[in-house]
Amino acid sequence: MHTGGKRVFKGVERGEPFEIEVDGEKIVAYEGETIGAALLAAGSRTLRYTNKLERPRGLYCGIGLCQECCMTINGIPNTQACQTLATPGCQVETRKDLKRRES
Amino acid sequence: MEESEFVIVGGGPGGVAAAMEAAKAGVAVTLVDENERLGGQCFRQFEKGFKVADPEALGLDYKEGQELLHQFSLLGDKIRYLNKALVWGIFNNRTIALAHNGASSALGFKRLLAATGAYDRPVPFPGWTLPGVFTAGGAQKLVKSERVLPGENILLAGTGPLQLVLAYQILEAGGKIEAILEAGNFYKNWLRRFLGIWGNWDFLKEGLGYLRSIRKAGVPLLQGHIICEAHGEEQVEEAVIAKVDRDWRFRPSTARTVKVDAICLGYGLVSSTELTMLAGCEHSYDLRLGGYIPLRSTTMETTVPGIYAVGDGAGVAGRKVAIEEGRIAGISAASSLGYLSSRDAGEQIKPCLKRLDKIGRFRRVLDDISLPRRGLYELAKDDTIICRCEEVTLKQLKEALSDDTLQIKDFKRMTRMGMGPCEGRMCGPSMIEMMRHRLDASAEGVGCLQPRPSIKPVALGVLAAAEPAERKKQ
Repeated sequence: MHTGGKRVFKGVERGEPFEIEVDGEKIVAYEGETIGAALLAAGSRTLRYTNKLERPRGLYCGIGLCQECCMTINGIPNTQACQTLATPGCQVETRKDLKRRES
Repeated sequence: MEESEFVIVGGGPGGVAAAMEAAKAGVAVTLVDENERLGGQCFRQFEKGFKVADPEALGLDYKEGQELLHQFSLLGDKIRYLNKALVWGIFNNRTIALAHNGASSALGFKRLLAATGAYDRPVPFPGWTLPGVFTAGGAQKLVKSERVLPGENILLAGTGPLQLVLAYQILEAGGKIEAILEAGNFYKNWLRRFLGIWGNWDFLKEGLGYLRSIRKAGVPLLQGHIICEAHGEEQVEEAVIAKVDRDWRFRPSTARTVKVDAICLGYGLVSSTELTMLAGCEHSYDLRLGGYIPLRSTTMETTVPGIYAVGDGAGVAGRKVAIEEGRIAGISAASSLGYLSSRDAGEQIKPCLKRLDKIGRFRRVLDDISLPRRGLYELAKDDTIICRCEEVTLKQLKEALSDDTLQIKDFKRMTRMGMGPCEGRMCGPSMIEMMRHRLDASAEGVGCLQPRPSIKPVALGVLAAAEPAERKKQ
């Protein structure tokens, strides 16, 4: 039922749309959007799982402080999705694999 | 090592205003900001790719911000502006450490201004770590400058006028709001105190405009209501809301569940004081102003000579205060560097003080209503996460509590609370409030989580990429 946020077109014109890859799946992002916003618009809110309790986390503070949105972006771990602009073809991982490493 | 007469940290309204005043007087200013573009949280600009088709649709403060930033751009060549530059430390109170362009470097200064802003006060309650729970500021950034709504059916919970601003922005963008929960008693107090605030008619007009559009959209504004819990498997699916008493303790008999997929929390702001704390400036605790804030003289100088602080990072008061304080700091710094006579500086500061005085009266009215009460910090249950990074629960903190553990920093040692990548920003302010309310503790007694360099995560590669010549010199 819930598909996350939706894009607003009122008041602004968006840049070019392009695709980015999240855990191997393609989603659409527009120039000028952060990876966090593009994922939210695509209905993906869980950006990582915690190390100890393996609980889902997503965008929280949204302004680069809480570090909850840290993902592996273009191979670089601990990159904040709320601060990183999407670029065509960029590779994003939620690091669900951390779960497997624990067990 | 590179040096700059006046280094300003933070490109929000306060930092920008200070940079302009100082540069006009002839000071060599370096303005350092973390973001891609100037404006801070309040005057955040769109990233490249977006084109503004209708500025009217983006609200009052957008236009105000554009005007200030335009003025700044006219001085462009007089101010050195570093974007995407993180100040991660301050050393000997004459040098800051910068992470910029993938490398770390040192920048010396004669005067420093911390215009570091504030962030939403985190309040732990069951379910607050679920994806779909946003801070009001985070949601505002998404709606305002990324033009993405946080959800399809949104609940706003918190206190104070910023909630109304966010609600207005969500509605203007075509979003749906289930309800706005105001823990305080807004209307009653507002109306009762109208008489005291004639001098701030434009503020009032702004607020009433927000209220009008909220009412027009048929969104319930529930005063004396609070969010107690958020539920969901992978993300927020529903929220439990209830009425509160005077101390904001919720009444279980009034609890009900609403189906929402996003929750935006706005319980006021916490000042970002990492830099002034690291510099050894004296701070005092004032919940009304955002927790620990640096002590300042009338010229915005902290207790460390040559280090100034303005705006929300020196006491939460909003953009209008930040601009006036920024102007005062810019003028004072210019004067202390010999670019302005003290008489000229005094003349220039006078109108700023006058405007500050006028704004001050209105602020006090709002502060009373929005001051967080005790019940807010009693929402967390034993298994509620308090420290999000290290996943420390309330139960673990209670267990660590003993005669030897009465200061916030002791919890760090006992439980790892505050040792994660957010560096205590998300758990510290709540822990202070929870501990402060114990009978055996006072605000001074509980202390704080002392910031350490780096005050934000910096990759080892960035530190390792520091200029070799600089390392030799030291």
